[in-house]
Amino acid sequence: MKDSDVEVPAIQLRGVRKTFRLSEDRNAKTVLALDGIDLTIRKGEFLTIIGPSGCGKTTLLRIMASLEQHDEGEVIVEGEPVSEPGIRRAMVFQTFGLFPWKTVIDNVTFPLTVRKFPADEARNTAMKHIRRVGLERFVDAYPHQLSGGMQQRVGLARALSTGADILLMDEPFGAIDAQTRELMQEELLRIWDEERKTVIFITHDLDEAVLLADRVLLMSRGPGRVRELIDVDLPHPRFEYDVRGHENFAKVRGHIWQQLRNDLVQQREEEAS
Amino acid sequence: MKKRSKAQVRRDQIVGLVIFLSVWEIAARLLGNKLVLPSVSQILAALGDLIASGELITAMAESIWLLIVGLIVSTILGFVLGALVARSRTAYWMLNPYFSALFATPTIALVPLVLVWFGFGFPGRVIVVVLAAVVPIMFSVASGLRDDPKDLVDVARSFGVTGELQLLYRVRVRAALPVLLAGLRLAAGRGVVGMAVAETYLRLGGIGGLIKSYGSMFQTDYVFASILPLSLLGIAIVSVIGRIERRLHWT
Ligand SMILES: Nc1ncnc2c1ncn2[C@@H]1O[C@H](COP(=O)(O)OP(=O)(O)O)[C@@H](O)[C@H]1O
Ligand SMILES: [Mg+2]
Repeated sequence: MKDSDVEVPAIQLRGVRKTFRLSEDRNAKTVLALDGIDLTIRKGEFLTIIGPSGCGKTTLLRIMASLEQHDEGEVIVEGEPVSEPGIRRAMVFQTFGLFPWKTVIDNVTFPLTVRKFPADEARNTAMKHIRRVGLERFVDAYPHQLSGGMQQRVGLARALSTGADILLMDEPFGAIDAQTRELMQEELLRIWDEERKTVIFITHDLDEAVLLADRVLLMSRGPGRVRELIDVDLPHPRFEYDVRGHENFAKVRGHIWQQLRNDLVQQREEEAS
Repeated sequence: MKKRSKAQVRRDQIVGLVIFLSVWEIAARLLGNKLVLPSVSQILAALGDLIASGELITAMAESIWLLIVGLIVSTILGFVLGALVARSRTAYWMLNPYFSALFATPTIALVPLVLVWFGFGFPGRVIVVVLAAVVPIMFSVASGLRDDPKDLVDVARSFGVTGELQLLYRVRVRAALPVLLAGLRLAAGRGVVGMAVAETYLRLGGIGGLIKSYGSMFQTDYVFASILPLSLLGIAIVSVIGRIERRLHWT
């Protein structure tokens, strides 16, 4: 563990706060979405984030992507404070975020084209990742001709082809049917195993949170705070056999559910009164 | 109804046209009054005459030039106004009633005003075309840009697109393109009407002028022979835009 002591973390958050104003109006109501988040994400770690809906998961991820500006605190990516989106971070969106007027290949080359990569280099890189997610037969298809699972594979290929070493994923499999989702979890684990990218992965699915993660970040409901960071002590690689049968899986899952359940019950009581 | 193949549709249209022309020809011959209803063959003869004399070509060139200039000016003006109205609620509510009124007013009613303010020269005729065509473009730009594709703008930003202008043309305008082209198609149809109005009521000229002058000489066969290319012009321009629309549309 000597090496990791000196290694720069992938992402560090220090006292990150975010308030939303509900309209342009200066005295409009405000919502405190994140209330002082401190978090250090190690290089190459697979972190999943779970918490009641509306607790600020998306906001947190968007701040890490610099799509949203925070009000207070610091966001440090690989040792540098950031305020603009950068090529070291790539996002995978819940609703896939493909341009409907672009073909698969043009969607995947988009980040490279924007950054002025030579066309043939962009194409080769894109093709490599399109093949990797098994869509080589669909390079010239339009998104609407693909199933949800296939569209998200395109989203994944696009993020991978940027060469980013941090993947930011906001419920990427949330809109995909259960069986395809399992397949895609496997594929993602396989890719992660090969490349050891840092992955930050939001989910509302308890099983998914535990199955994928080195660590689970459990957030408490609004205003968003870090409630607990849970190490997941399960063997890798996890795509070759089902770790759901492992006793630690049940233990970690049970622990997280207890916490989450408390929040949900409280939330329901408050809504009722 | 069962769906028809392209070839079947084409066949139906040709059969329909043949029946239509035969009925016309027979009716015209039975009636025997060239002033009221010239026969198809008489119209074709008049058309051949107009082509041979070069009259039709000159008139078409003049009309097409007026139409093109008018539509370009309408597009530029429509974009500026549409973008303004899409950005600002105040501008929207201030300007909307006037543009709705303009849309509902027959262009022909505005001809006397154009004549007084701008004269009957080329600028005046262009203005008549613009009055007919600008509103659909403005409305389509406004609605196209108002439906902000927020998610896709975020996607573009996250992958390194910076600056409002880049986001505008890489995402917002591209996403709005189907709506914009539908507006342009509508505008082109109205533009043809505006063009004919300008050429018949502002000052005789082009294809509209041809129709009007042959009409006042009661040469009905020549009137029909002039109407035909005008309709074809309208159909052609609308179908060209329709073709581009289909090519750019992703579904
Ligand atoms: N753009 C926004 N404007 C106003 N409020 C927002 C905005 N985005 C998020 N919020 C609010 O911030 C809180 C956290 O939202 P979000 O990060 O989307 O939660 P989660 O992803 O965990 O469901 C919610 O109360 C939400 O209503
Ligand atoms: Mg969310």
